[in-house]
Amino acid sequence: MRIGVMIFINETYKRLLLLWDYKFNMVTQIIMLGFVFVGITLFMSEGQIDQVQIAPVLLGYLVWFYALSAISDMSWGIREETQTGTLEQMYMSPVSPNVLLMGRAFATLINTTIMVVIIAGVLITLFQVSMPMRWAGIPVFLLTMIGLYGFGFMIGGATLIFKQVEALANMAQNMLLFLNGAFLPVERMPDWLAGFAKTLPTTQGIIVLRKVILDGQSLASAWNDGSLVSLVVNSSIYFVGGWLVFRWCERVARQRGALGQY
Amino acid sequence: MSSGNAPENAPDNAIVIDRVSKTYQTRKGRRVHAVQNLSLVVRRGQVFGFLGANGAGKTTTIKMACGLVMPTAGQIHVNGYDVLRQRGQAMRQMGTVLEGTRNVYWRLSAWQNLMYFGRLKGVIGKRLKSRAEQLLKELDLWERRNDPLRMFSRGMQQKVAIACALVSDPPIVLLDEPTLGLDVKAARSVKQWISALAEEQGKTVVLTTHQLAMAQELCHQVAIMSHGRLIANRPTTELLDLFRQEYYQVRFAGSLDDQVLEQFDGFTTRRENGDTILSGILTEGTTVYDLVDRARSLGLELIAVAQVEPNLEEVFVRLIDAADSVGAVDAHAPGQPVQDRSPARAGVPAVSPARRDGSGGDPLK
Repeated sequence: MRIGVMIFINETYKRLLLLWDYKFNMVTQIIMLGFVFVGITLFMSEGQIDQVQIAPVLLGYLVWFYALSAISDMSWGIREETQTGTLEQMYMSPVSPNVLLMGRAFATLINTTIMVVIIAGVLITLFQVSMPMRWAGIPVFLLTMIGLYGFGFMIGGATLIFKQVEALANMAQNMLLFLNGAFLPVERMPDWLAGFAKTLPTTQGIIVLRKVILDGQSLASAWNDGSLVSLVVNSSIYFVGGWLVFRWCERVARQRGALGQY
Repeated sequence: MSSGNAPENAPDNAIVIDRVSKTYQTRKGRRVHAVQNLSLVVRRGQVFGFLGANGAGKTTTIKMACGLVMPTAGQIHVNGYDVLRQRGQAMRQMGTVLEGTRNVYWRLSAWQNLMYFGRLKGVIGKRLKSRAEQLLKELDLWERRNDPLRMFSRGMQQKVAIACALVSDPPIVLLDEPTLGLDVKAARSVKQWISALAEEQGKTVVLTTHQLAMAQELCHQVAIMSHGRLIANRPTTELLDLFRQEYYQVRFAGSLDDQVLEQFDGFTTRRENGDTILSGILTEGTTVYDLVDRARSLGLELIAVAQVEPNLEEVFVRLIDAADSVGAVDAHAPGQPVQDRSPARAGVPAVSPARRDGSGGDPLK
């Protein structure tokens, strides 16, 4: 347990140092994300800012940003560490690779949260969005992240073996942006598309987050209407599946000698 | 292999590689035997040189010892711990710098890298800080500890990578081409440090390098691989002794042209004060008198013939050439006993892994 906490802190320490070193990139990314949000919102509302719609859209957009970040870390992040040999150094640690993987996910989550707080702060202030803080949102958010990182582990596993997964990562990021219900609510999608969209890692999380944060619904109520149950099932499947896929890919990479090969 | 008397548990064995093979399958389904039935022992406190041409299987072996590559067959024990089954304990025994990569974060400072890799290896608090300070001072990097590594020279970056491998003070250090790409001064500095690791701190150092002069100077024991097979594994002095009787230096007056030099195939040439000096090992069945006769028949003015101390490079080239000439016939025939393809058949003294007298470090002796 103690070593696990230390590894989590250590990974976060490294990630924050790197984030600070890339501060210019971070600022640029935040500005770009702000513009993308404004652009898409104006496009969808035919040039108007709809004060009723902007809060759920922003919530979905921020969750998508977490997805963007998780997928990037598990694809480009792992690939870069393969090239520089630091991934192999991590695998030569006496600490279990499971703990290292979780530590890596935790560090990315903290890193992304810092950026999300900045983006959200700017957009909420700029557009005077009403975004109530409700504690019930925290467990729903964490459940959503568990599923999302499970999905990220699958991409990470593919990166360990194939290395060139940019196209796959880009496809996943764009698919989540347009199909996770952030901009177009799932209810307004055709049935076949809505069915598919709900199997994606963040869609159900966004639905339940909107219910508990924006509509003020309790967790018990979300559980009773089945939406929270769906989120628990969806996230559990993604997390366990993603973890198993990653460990399998890692084993294949060791067999092929591909952990440090690019 | 798990009894108390087994080589992997012997108190003076740092690394025991027991009948390890690694076969890769290419996308076209072809099987590539990177390492074949390799067995060797690295004794504690030794500087162990692991030599071979590119693609000989050195790096694959090092990576198997680190748990980064899974062997197709065989076992590796590090200080008694099975690398695959007791991974955590085995990893605590080693610090590794791998070839051709950075191994550290260039965007972080030397201090930050040491803190990060120290914690990753389970070292924390005051112990980590004092160890990092000690290493940085030993490496003359203390004053620049807060500068990002991207501002450092290649030699300084490599020193930090080695420091990170040593931050947990492991008893075994694996260095894969530690001086690759370094200038002469930086290489010398790294070399001195490696020497100090063994001499002053009693660490076991496994070193792969193409700089054979460095290997000759530093290594107590040398193993040579060719095409995934071990072709020699002996104390360095013993390996040099194998050719001591046959290594000659011949001095001719004037500068010999290429056509004449072709008559002395296998000899290296250098020019000194207008004379030509040939150095090399006599091929099988050739005596020094044959050499003199050849010089006379070519009308060359012979100044001196001297038997000299061979160097590791000459020994290495001779062994590799012999192994290649034998191995080329059946390089893709796995399963055949290794000793059947030893260089001994090519007129080179037998130094194959078939050696069982212990000096070869065979775990099965």
